[in-house]
Amino acid sequence: MLEIKNLHASVDGKDILKGINLTVKPGEVHAIMGPNGAGKSTLSNVLAGRDGYEITQGSVTFQDEDLLALEAEERARRGVFLAFQYPVEIPGVSNIYLLKAALNAVRTHQGLEELDAMDFLTLVREKLKLVKMDEDFMYRGVNEGFSGGEKKRNEILQMALLEPTLAILDETDSGLDIDALKTVSEGVNALRSADRSIVMITHYQRLLDYIVPDFVHVLSDGQIVKSGDKELAKELESKGYSWVHAEGPAA
Amino acid sequence: MKQLNELATPFATVAESSDLPGQDLPWLQALRQRALTQFSTAGLPAKKQEDWKYTSLWNLSQHPFTHQAVESTVDAAQVEDLALLDDAYRLVIVDGVYVATLSQLDDLPVGLTVRPFSASLDSVKQQLGQQVALDKVGLTALNTLLMKEGVMVHVAADTVVDKPIELLVINSGATADLATHLRNMIVLDVNAQATVVEHYVGVTDGVNFTNVVSEVVLAEQTELFHYKLQQESHQAFHIATLAAKQAAGSQWHTQNITLGGKLSRNDVHSRLEGEQSHTTMDGLYLLNDEQHADTHTRIDHLVPNTTSNELYKGVLNDECHGVFNGKVIVHQDAQKTDSNQYNHNLLLSRGCAIDTKPEMEIYADDVKCGHGSTVGQLDMDQLFFLRARGLDDVTARSLLTHAFAVDVLARLPSETIRQALSAVIEQRLPRGEKS
Ligand SMILES: Nc1ncnc2c1ncn2[C@@H]1O[C@H](COP(=O)(O)OP(=O)(O)OP(=O)(O)O)[C@@H](O)[C@H]1O
Ligand SMILES: [Mg+2]
Repeated sequence: MLEIKNLHASVDGKDILKGINLTVKPGEVHAIMGPNGAGKSTLSNVLAGRDGYEITQGSVTFQDEDLLALEAEERARRGVFLAFQYPVEIPGVSNIYLLKAALNAVRTHQGLEELDAMDFLTLVREKLKLVKMDEDFMYRGVNEGFSGGEKKRNEILQMALLEPTLAILDETDSGLDIDALKTVSEGVNALRSADRSIVMITHYQRLLDYIVPDFVHVLSDGQIVKSGDKELAKELESKGYSWVHAEGPAA
Repeated sequence: MKQLNELATPFATVAESSDLPGQDLPWLQALRQRALTQFSTAGLPAKKQEDWKYTSLWNLSQHPFTHQAVESTVDAAQVEDLALLDDAYRLVIVDGVYVATLSQLDDLPVGLTVRPFSASLDSVKQQLGQQVALDKVGLTALNTLLMKEGVMVHVAADTVVDKPIELLVINSGATADLATHLRNMIVLDVNAQATVVEHYVGVTDGVNFTNVVSEVVLAEQTELFHYKLQQESHQAFHIATLAAKQAAGSQWHTQNITLGGKLSRNDVHSRLEGEQSHTTMDGLYLLNDEQHADTHTRIDHLVPNTTSNELYKGVLNDECHGVFNGKVIVHQDAQKTDSNQYNHNLLLSRGCAIDTKPEMEIYADDVKCGHGSTVGQLDMDQLFFLRARGLDDVTARSLLTHAFAVDVLARLPSETIRQALSAVIEQRLPRGEKS
């Protein structure tokens, strides 16, 4: 599904990703942890196709295509979804409009008809229920005046609607209260399937109790320095990142 | 180099030769004579005048305009097409000439008068020219000298007009280089309420010159929703003066949308002369290619307890040039004035430019006033967000541009007009792939 090989990326001449290797197979859930400033969001942005990064080495293959050769919107239409660490507010563009445009972009790419207004609304209502959001949010500007937790829910709503093949969740659990964390986790778990993969970035072991990962990686200073299963997260929780550093980079 | 005021001569000749209305009315002849004297001395405003610093009328002054329109072929279907509103009282002027057969003025409600200016001279006599200064800029004098047609709207006391009134001014392009001088008069008597849309459309991309003066007189407790939509040809010259006098408790809500014109200039002025009166002075200019649009606004707070809100937004692309100059003057007696004035601009290209200057002159001490302006570009985080949701670059940019622009529209209550204007604006934005 996703194969990242020796990926190096820099911004304004500053090296941030320094040789990432990661393989994600269909159906797998990978958790990426790591200290602030390690390059986790940079990796997400590079995968989602944000401009402004220079890829100096390496490759990313997604479903046998060169992902890095595609524009951001082309990646989205092929099923790459990034849930943002800091979802942006867009006053003047209603949530419902965004959802519709986004869904139709994906459907058109898949050669499907655009949904008519009724079917679309039915579908949105179903997804709203899943993430326990009120319909009122649909008619507000995208994330406009939403609380931190509401913004994160809104990201999961978009994900639930778009049903991506590869979902990258960048700290979707940060800033959520206990109930919201459960709701969001349920939303993510509902999406888990044999042909879908999830990469989730988090600082907290707690999330992994709800969404149990197949693999846990530690990203530090632009490299994956350690990989393991969910036990690794527990170990990190008790010992901190210095423990990983002492052990040195993964082989 | 020729002085701009040499223009007085050809225009004066026009005044002598053409069939201006009211030749038999001494008061009007006297007014036109004053205008001629004024225009002969002042001429057109030159760039050395502070108010015209950024806008040169040189090309206008050098263009050979004609004042005689040939017959045009605009038909009813075309009018339906061009009109902003389906359900409205409508007065249609084509190439400077009122066309009764294309207008919809048959079933006006009691209390509402909508008539062509040329047929209303007696009724406008008292107020004509009272809202604008003949001596300030030459263009008002020129208009007064040559005014021929326009709309006269009168709403009697206590009348609430049930439908909007659309003044549809069409430049058909049938007469090349046509100059028209339009005069509109909108008068609301005590307690009246109405919605008026001034709508200027160019059908072809030919050159024409529209010089319009609209005067508004609002008696006590009146409320006027006053829209202006300018969609003239991108080769047109459009000069507009819009001025209101407001009595106590009156509310004037304006929305001024500039889309067309190679060179356009709007002077919008309100005088808050009675307590508890209010002005909303909003606008939007959406410019591309080599358009030049200059907006000058002025609000005079003359008495205590008056309010004004002003928001002008600009979207600039290609090689265009926008000018915004807003002046709010809080006079010495105008205690408890509450006023804010903002101008926000979105620049979409490197080649475009904006000169913005919001100004407040405050001579009273107990007031609440705020003003400011911004110039910015599209937000890259927002753009990436939309693209990461599958919207192509052009669609995403258009969507953000539209969102930036249309919040101005939401400030007035009519949902029908808001949607109609929003659709017009949408058409002006670049289109992406269908998504
Ligand atoms: N546009 C940029 N210009 C300069 N430096 C940048 C830019 N973007 C990221 N960086 C730097 O790259 C490093 C990695 O940032 P990134 O946001 O990827 O970290 P992160 O692992 O997501 O951290 P956190 O856990 O705090 O979210 C940081 O030192 C950051 O300052
Ligand atoms: Mg981050």
